Amino acid sequence: MTLSLRNILLRAAGARLSLNTEKRCVVPALKRFQSSSSIIYPASFLCCPSYVPQTSLSRPPWPELPAFDAEEEERRHRAVVQKVNGLIEEGAYGRLFAVVHFASRQWKVTDEDLILIENHIDAACGDRIRMEKVLLVGGSDFTLVGKPLLSRDLVQVHATVIEKTESWPMVHMRFWKRHRFQKKRIIIQPQTVLRINTIEVSPKLF
Amino acid sequence: MSLLGMFWNQTVCLLQHFRGRKNRCYSLAVRAVRRAFVYASKARKAKRRSMRQLWIQRVAAASREQHMKYPALIHNLLKCSVALNRRVLCDLSITEPRSFQSLTALAHARRTEGLRAALGDGAEPPGVFSRITQLQ
Repeated sequence: MTLSLRNILLRAAGARLSLNTEKRCVVPALKRFQSSSSIIYPASFLCCPSYVPQTSLSRPPWPELPAFDAEEEERRHRAVVQKVNGLIEEGAYGRLFAVVHFASRQWKVTDEDLILIENHIDAACGDRIRMEKVLLVGGSDFTLVGKPLLSRDLVQVHATVIEKTESWPMVHMRFWKRHRFQKKRIIIQPQTVLRINTIEVSPKLF
Repeated sequence: MSLLGMFWNQTVCLLQHFRGRKNRCYSLAVRAVRRAFVYASKARKAKRRSMRQLWIQRVAAASREQHMKYPALIHNLLKCSVALNRRVLCDLSITEPRSFQSLTALAHARRTEGLRAALGDGAEPPGVFSRITQLQ
């Protein structure tokens, strides 16, 4: 199985364009901008007879879209997929970076990175952790964008728990003047330090 | 231990850099330290807001370099179910410009696709008298 087009840069547009449009008995708007021979134009208009002077209402307010060819798009997508497949199979990438969702935050991470997480993790110091929610993986020549996540078989991100400490004592103080209102609380957050060991992309994209 | 001694022992590292008699005289120091704590507490909340604002500004600037506007980029990435947040988009735009370019291209493609789907065959609904100028 080759990689489905969902996980590649540009979206496959072919499937979405098969819409059911109702039958309309009115002539399309663009067809109305045709000139007639009964109107006398200055000499410059004669060279391009379909010329309409530009006003705020001379063309529809939406932009003119380029012509769309589904087969060409399919061909381009397939070429991109093939190229990226080839690069990954050969292993022709250097350092990879990944965007990982961990501890309710998103981190942009590479190898040998240190991450400080402001909460407690149920893993002892020295444990090896695998981060499974990977949103994006990239190298210098390609990027794999997940919608929203990449599959577990595709990317593996491994990390080690290095340190489990507490933050410095932060003072949370509230004070209203002239109201005899004053509260002071000392907050000490548990912290964990992780070291990202490796980011691996599997050699055959699914 | 006197209360005064306790106060100075605990806060001397905080108020040494204060200006004037606030770093020496007890009454003034107490008030200054209280204000400092309150400002720090409020700023920790405001920091999150201003960081998000900064990320949005940076992502908007980067997307405008790629001929795309920030609301369009975010909305179309959402429609493509790409769940990257603003902080990561900002980091990508700074450190990984090619990846950011590919994300803008993705959003742009999704946008044109949506426009094409909305236009259909370009006809106007029946019974509508259009204000578009017609040459006949």
